[in-house]
Amino acid sequence: MAGTRLNNPAMTAPPVLAVQKASRVLAGRRVVRDLDLQLAKGEVLGLLGVNGAGKSTTLRMVAGLLAPSAGVIRIEGEDLQEHPELARRRIGYLPEVAPLHAELSVAEFLAFCARLHGLEREAEAAVARAIERCGLGDVRQRLIGALSKGFRQRVGLAQAILHDPELIVLDEPASGLDPVQALRLRELVRGLGADHAVVLSTHVLPDVLACCDRVAILHEGELRHEGRLIAETPGTSMRVRVAKSITASDWNSLPMVVAAIPAASDARSWRVTTREGSSAGALAAVIVERGFGLEELRADSPALEEIFMAIAAGTAPAVAA
Amino acid sequence: MSVALLIARHEWRRLAVQAFAWMLAAIVVALMAWQFLLALEAFLQLAPKLGGLKEAPGVTDLVAIPILRSFSNLLMLLVPLITMRTIAGERRAQSLSLLLAGGVGNARIVIGKYFGALGFAIVMILLVVAMPLALAFGTPLDYGRLAAAILGLILFASALTAIGVLCSAWTAQPALAAAAAFAVTSLLAIVDAGARLQGIDNSGINYIALPTHIEPFFRGLVSSVDIVYFVLVTVVALAFAARRLDRLRSVPD
Repeated sequence: MAGTRLNNPAMTAPPVLAVQKASRVLAGRRVVRDLDLQLAKGEVLGLLGVNGAGKSTTLRMVAGLLAPSAGVIRIEGEDLQEHPELARRRIGYLPEVAPLHAELSVAEFLAFCARLHGLEREAEAAVARAIERCGLGDVRQRLIGALSKGFRQRVGLAQAILHDPELIVLDEPASGLDPVQALRLRELVRGLGADHAVVLSTHVLPDVLACCDRVAILHEGELRHEGRLIAETPGTSMRVRVAKSITASDWNSLPMVVAAIPAASDARSWRVTTREGSSAGALAAVIVERGFGLEELRADSPALEEIFMAIAAGTAPAVAA
Repeated sequence: MSVALLIARHEWRRLAVQAFAWMLAAIVVALMAWQFLLALEAFLQLAPKLGGLKEAPGVTDLVAIPILRSFSNLLMLLVPLITMRTIAGERRAQSLSLLLAGGVGNARIVIGKYFGALGFAIVMILLVVAMPLALAFGTPLDYGRLAAAILGLILFASALTAIGVLCSAWTAQPALAAAAAFAVTSLLAIVDAGARLQGIDNSGINYIALPTHIEPFFRGLVSSVDIVYFVLVTVVALAFAARRLDRLRSVPD
């Protein structure tokens, strides 16, 4: 997976987001260099990188907040710099700290955001939809300043999605949340990915594994890795949790399994390496067929972790090189 | 609805739900009411002696205009307190990106913030003006002169508001923004003091000074030179504030 860029069939239509050779110089330093990214509707892209890798600057450019020093950012084929008003209707942006007005109620604040994004008559319905989607119904009349961090983050997310933008840009949305709040937020983001293009910046690998279809790793302003996260590549390592306690020989009896090692002492969590050409779907089908009781199936985090650590240590080559 | 108007209304709404703005309004009205009553009492004591004078000053000269002149001095302190949060408060709360990323141009953001704060200042002006206007029930007033003074106060508040918004764009600390705005307006108020002490009152430095342009309005003189001065200060300050916002786009909140 490392160092490869895989073609996506959805990319044949104009992508929702196309970043072409985008660079940004800040205070004389090239913070982002020749960045190329594409994102289609229905995809969630996880942008990974250590602090100072250029994630936030990239997101600020993608959100229309900051113009690239060189290169082009297109939203559905239209140049964002030439048409900055595109940001108003087509992009929803949630920075790391949710931009909220603490002295207003949730409903009042979202009504302002809706109008700011160009909604007039449909503002009320859009606010109601966003409140429902983000689970804010019980706190809609409460002052934002009195809400917990988790609810404030949800209000921030609601302001980013209420105008139903094609592209949603989220900068570390789960930062500072407790595990329960983070889980709910991941579910929300995963849901948004079904009918929007979502760019999610984080340095929490489980967030990427839980929410994203694709991952891009930035280091020192350069794109060092890009690829699909769902295990369709040959010989991919998967993390599987089943209801029954089973043995390695049970796994080896499955046609697409190359190796299986327990990931926990209860013989229910396994790291399974699948054969070349097999898919996650096929593995899931066989697990169900054999009655193992499939509880969880996801790409194995250490694979991504290893890539990430290698890039952070500076031992991995740039993808564009 | 235009985005600038939307931001102005929102700014106004945010001020209206804050205890700070209400307390500020209450303190200003109480202070001005006290001054008004003192001026009125002094006038009532003086009135019998004025009866015999030819072209004696009336209640407009001795109560209304001094109150409004005194209020113009108070505006130099009040307006920075209103404007200090306009942009610096957003930066401190890390909420400025809401506007910057909303596809809203810098000029529209600045104009919206300016009109929101100016609206509050104008309400304060009208509350204070209502005091001398209440005298109309018992005595004739020079409405022309009062109208000129109100126009002067609004233009004066406009310039102060623009300077306040500019200072608010320059720092992320609202208190520092208020102090900077107060310092700038104070400097503009006394910049020609030395020249005046030497009897010079029509030099370039006199033109820069705020009192040179507000005083004629209190005397009932509406001059295009003075109007242009206040409009110019307002436009230049807002233009610099918009430029500053452009700079803020490239740095994190």
